[in-house]
Amino acid sequence: MKTLQVFDPALCCSTGVCGTEVDQALVDFSADVDWLKHVGGKIERFNLAQQPMTFAENTVVKAFLERSGAEGLPLVLLDGEIAMAGRYPTRKELARFAGISSEVSETAVPVPETKMGGCGCSDSKCC
Amino acid sequence: MIMKFLEQAPRFLFFTGKGGVGKTSIACASAIRLAEAGKRVLLVSTDPASNVGQVFGISIGNRITAIPAVPRLAALEIDPQAAAQVYRDRIVGPVRGVLPDAVVKGIEEQLSGACTTEIAAFDEFTALLIDSTLTREYEHIIFDTAPTGHTIRLLQLPGAWSGFLEEGKGDASCLGPLAGLEKQREQYKAAVDALADGSRTRLILVARAQQGTLREVARTHEELAAIGLQQQYLVINGVLPKIEAENDPLAAAIHERELAALNAIPDVLKELPLDKVELKPFNLVGLDALHQLLTESAPLALDSADEPLLFDEPHLSDLVDGIAAEGHGLVMLMGKGGVGKTTLAAAIAVELAHRGLPTHLTTSDPAAHLTETLIGSLENLTVSRIDPHEETERYRQHVLESKGAKLDAQGRALLEEDLRSPCTEEIAVFQAFSRIIREAGKKFVVMDTAPTGHTLLLLDATGAYHREVTRQMGDKGMHYTTPMMQLQDSKQTKVLIATLAETTPVLEAANLQADLRRAGIEPWAWIINTSVAAASARSPLLRQRAANELREINAVASQHAQRYAVAPLLRNEPVGVARLLELAAG
Repeated sequence: MKTLQVFDPALCCSTGVCGTEVDQALVDFSADVDWLKHVGGKIERFNLAQQPMTFAENTVVKAFLERSGAEGLPLVLLDGEIAMAGRYPTRKELARFAGISSEVSETAVPVPETKMGGCGCSDSKCC
Repeated sequence: MIMKFLEQAPRFLFFTGKGGVGKTSIACASAIRLAEAGKRVLLVSTDPASNVGQVFGISIGNRITAIPAVPRLAALEIDPQAAAQVYRDRIVGPVRGVLPDAVVKGIEEQLSGACTTEIAAFDEFTALLIDSTLTREYEHIIFDTAPTGHTIRLLQLPGAWSGFLEEGKGDASCLGPLAGLEKQREQYKAAVDALADGSRTRLILVARAQQGTLREVARTHEELAAIGLQQQYLVINGVLPKIEAENDPLAAAIHERELAALNAIPDVLKELPLDKVELKPFNLVGLDALHQLLTESAPLALDSADEPLLFDEPHLSDLVDGIAAEGHGLVMLMGKGGVGKTTLAAAIAVELAHRGLPTHLTTSDPAAHLTETLIGSLENLTVSRIDPHEETERYRQHVLESKGAKLDAQGRALLEEDLRSPCTEEIAVFQAFSRIIREAGKKFVVMDTAPTGHTLLLLDATGAYHREVTRQMGDKGMHYTTPMMQLQDSKQTKVLIATLAETTPVLEAANLQADLRRAGIEPWAWIINTSVAAASARSPLLRQRAANELREINAVASQHAQRYAVAPLLRNEPVGVARLLELAAG
């Protein structure tokens, strides 16, 4: 299965209440990320204000920041390669990236939390 | 004199109140008193103007230090700004020089808000509130500040922790800064539990005998009582002794005003045990002085002189000369609560209108009485008012309806709490004002509030502020490049910093100025309000206070301000056109 990584711009609070208007794109995307996890997709998000080291340690992300600046975020990587930049993907696009049929509805039976790695540990902190 | 707030004192004592009411002095005096009664006491100061070390004649800093002059007393100074800086460095340090400079700067700004400072300070408290070998030997630990209700509520919310501290990432909210802090959830929980336990913790609200500060203290009381801090005491500090009023009209007027404020004390405060501490004629530096703070002192002999100590300081009307020269523009008053921003904004607006210049005064004054008396009172003067609570509520509802719709119960609770942060109110109020700003292209617009530099930078960074103002101005507004540039251009926008001639308020004002400078905005002038030194007083107490002001006024004039003005303490509250003009003229 393919792994998605989303590199968010520096958000003071990811709820977005600090803007003069709530960014609907952020609201929708958060819901879509939840959905993708629910149907078994592998996706991680990183906030520039809180995990800048993750940005610095990834050569693709670092080069992107040097080229486009933080204004170019968000950046979406698919198995380490740039899949999209400058906007958040839609649910359909997320499903396509992850290789999951977007027909899977929210009511589908969630895939049990058996994540890869072979070591039996869960989530991204694996090994 | 017996102080109720020190009777059967529990282990933890927190003093809270706005800057300049004398929390640190009272905390010091209390610590000395308890130590002299045989208790082992630790005094913790977070006052950025901390003179605790100076008071005891030793250097203290961020480690527990025994005070040789007072047996059984030790002290510790926490600098919240420094704690926040340490936190920022921990996050940003490793990527400095690795990621582009502009990116690093953006991250630093995100971590420069009041939330970060507050949370970083709470983190420092945590170790002192939980049972640890560090503090085991102390029977009393006295803090000269207290965490806000907002911080405590956030720490109490289960949603704030799930998937965040435990996983180290995820939805962050105002608690974001905690991500970089080291302690565990159990420790924060233990600290919050200790705070809410009346057998261990007493909260002492410190106020002055002024309506505004009493109202504010009533709000703090209700907010903290609602989350379990039931053990609360009230101290009214700096009360002018009645005897001072006898031969001095100014002192008599102040005495009357204080009595009126105490008579009109908000109902919720009436239930609390109350202590009054009289105004002292001396500076609260040194052991002797602190000893006397909580005791009654003999009145001083009446001074023969009554002329003001200050003669040729610039008046408000001198500043108005410079403002009027541009013909139109935006004037924003900035400063902490209680320094008189609304009154000063009104005085400037009245002075401008009096000179025949069309002026729009717009305020967020909760009392509204000041602005109401001005409506229709002067040609060329328009008056409007926005209600900060109404605006904030509207904004909250809007966010909850759009964003909250898809959240589960925990997420929604967290969002609601984020919406109670001071940032939210600031943004909501500024948004409401931005509808009026466009008028500044043709006339004068005087506002009694201004956004902080931090907020402006965040809004500017996201482009949200630009979009907002563009939408508000349509295409019939003034010519501008970007809204941020309009605020940065002193020909179009003048930011005036209001403060009092006292140590802490001057320091707080300097911090506001530094924050604005980060956003490229240079405050045009400072106004020192309600100065006794600029008034005529015979009362020896007031004359002593006036003498103490000179050092602060000098600091503002020589270190902080490009230009400045001093507004005197008036016998009568400056309400109405005539008295406001009098205030402007000094």
